[in-house]
Amino acid sequence: MTTFLPLLPLMILTGAILVLMMAIAFMRNLALSCGISVIGLLLTLISIIWVNLNLEPSYVTPLLRVDDFGLLFSGIMAVTALFICLLAYSYHQNRGEHQDEFFLLLLLATLGAMVLTISVHFASFVLGLELLGISIYALISYPTKGVFSLEAALKYLILSGISSAFILFGAGLLYAVSGTLSFADFAAGGIPNTGTGQVFVLAGSAMMLAGIGFKLSLVPFHMWTPDVYEGAPAPVAGFLATISKGSVFVALMRFFLAVDGYQYDSIMTGLYWIAGLSMLLGNILALLQSSIKRLLAYSSIAQFGYLMVAFIAISELAGKHLAIEAAVFFLIAYFITTIGAFGVVTIMSDKSEDHDLDSLDAYEGLFWQRPLLAAFMSIMLLSLAGIPLTAGFIGKFYILASGVESQLWPLLVIVVIGSGIGLFYYLRVIYAMTKKAAANTDIEVSAAGGWTMAVVTLVLLVLGVYPGPVIEWVSNMALQLV
Amino acid sequence: MSVALTIPMEHGLLLAAILFSIGLLGVMVRRNIIFILMSLEIMLNACAMVFIIAGAHWGQADGQIMFMLILSVAAAEVAVGLGLLLQVFRRFDSLDIDKANRMRG
Repeated sequence: MTTFLPLLPLMILTGAILVLMMAIAFMRNLALSCGISVIGLLLTLISIIWVNLNLEPSYVTPLLRVDDFGLLFSGIMAVTALFICLLAYSYHQNRGEHQDEFFLLLLLATLGAMVLTISVHFASFVLGLELLGISIYALISYPTKGVFSLEAALKYLILSGISSAFILFGAGLLYAVSGTLSFADFAAGGIPNTGTGQVFVLAGSAMMLAGIGFKLSLVPFHMWTPDVYEGAPAPVAGFLATISKGSVFVALMRFFLAVDGYQYDSIMTGLYWIAGLSMLLGNILALLQSSIKRLLAYSSIAQFGYLMVAFIAISELAGKHLAIEAAVFFLIAYFITTIGAFGVVTIMSDKSEDHDLDSLDAYEGLFWQRPLLAAFMSIMLLSLAGIPLTAGFIGKFYILASGVESQLWPLLVIVVIGSGIGLFYYLRVIYAMTKKAAANTDIEVSAAGGWTMAVVTLVLLVLGVYPGPVIEWVSNMALQLV
Repeated sequence: MSVALTIPMEHGLLLAAILFSIGLLGVMVRRNIIFILMSLEIMLNACAMVFIIAGAHWGQADGQIMFMLILSVAAAEVAVGLGLLLQVFRRFDSLDIDKANRMRG
């Protein structure tokens, strides 16, 4: 008999969504909606910890597998969504009526992401992916006044639709040759290695990778990223960069480990190029940007290029364990850092109604106006650049270590070059903030936003200075996956 | 039963691939948002068809269940798409996607 108890976090989150929907139907109040979402996410987080401590890893129906790996990322997503809720509260206070559904959509998208992290079957994979995607279309186009958000939502809808179609077609081809939709059964010898069967497998995997490349905005499927990030409201851009991308990566990792996609040389060559080009192009194009959101978009392309190095390193048997550890730790550090960086943009844009305050000029002199906010931003950028004492440093160190262990020398060279270029444009922002410039706007930091940023920064520094416990935990978890 | 046995799976997959290509071409070539959404629908239907064909080949119900999932997902996607389309028409007085293209990318 299957017990549904391991799905408690998902049920609690669904309950919170229903409660929030009813609350909005009867009374529109931004504080109430935000409060219900925050409490719902907190309860979800507590239940995730409870499930992790008390229940053995198990399959819940053939569709979902609740294990440490999935629970870890579900937990991180709950925390990230919590931060976004708190940051979005003051952001939406000044943006007219009918802002409550934002939180509803945010929770729905988070639910989709959590389903993705524990799915081991194409049916649940597709459901999670689309629940996430469709909520995000509405989230991006949420500001009804802006022109850019509409354009961004339309672009994202079309490109995300295409990528979903690619993933589905690829999955269909894999189903046609193997006769199973479950990741585990693929691994159990469902895939033929010869003849026309292999052609289908290769075509199917290539199409799936192309679709997933879109979602992870890896070069050459990255074109939509800067436009969508620029047009989307800042909290949603943060959501896109963290939860949306992270959950797809987790699902990709599950799929690849189960199917052992590493045995196909042509796929690995493709991944090799994708990782290298993402790092190079992402970093180089970030140099040319004058908008912080676009800069962060290109930087996230580059960061996922680094992540793909660890992903490729999993292919070598010797470095497999270390590479999984590296990918997971890097992703955690990336989540915290990115949500912090977009958090500052959100706080800066609290008062500007039409367009988010994201041009580099607007940040000039921030150090003299709002020293704490500028300090938070600087720490986030330094972490993205991989400077010691931040979580980003440990993450990048891990990537390099796993690359060395698996002897991916050409990619390691690109990691180093990319980091060098990266340092330049991250420091450019910090330099702009320290300039003596005329005070341009009256920036007010709301209590919720300020405290959230303080907590995010604290977590980032603690993880950078004293990463021991987290590393140990991640390492144990990686052992389960190998 | 007999139909699935007499038509080779490859032929069905080829038909689905052709449909998929037509849809992809439509998304790339068309400039009217309604036609882009229709082409997207064709792509998703081609995917659904692959699952139906594969399900018939293996004699399982899984393919048809995936078909229903894809159908509902595509409907939800198009519903949001049409909502956006209305907004675009109100804002730009046109359904031409190039007119809505203000950003550089």
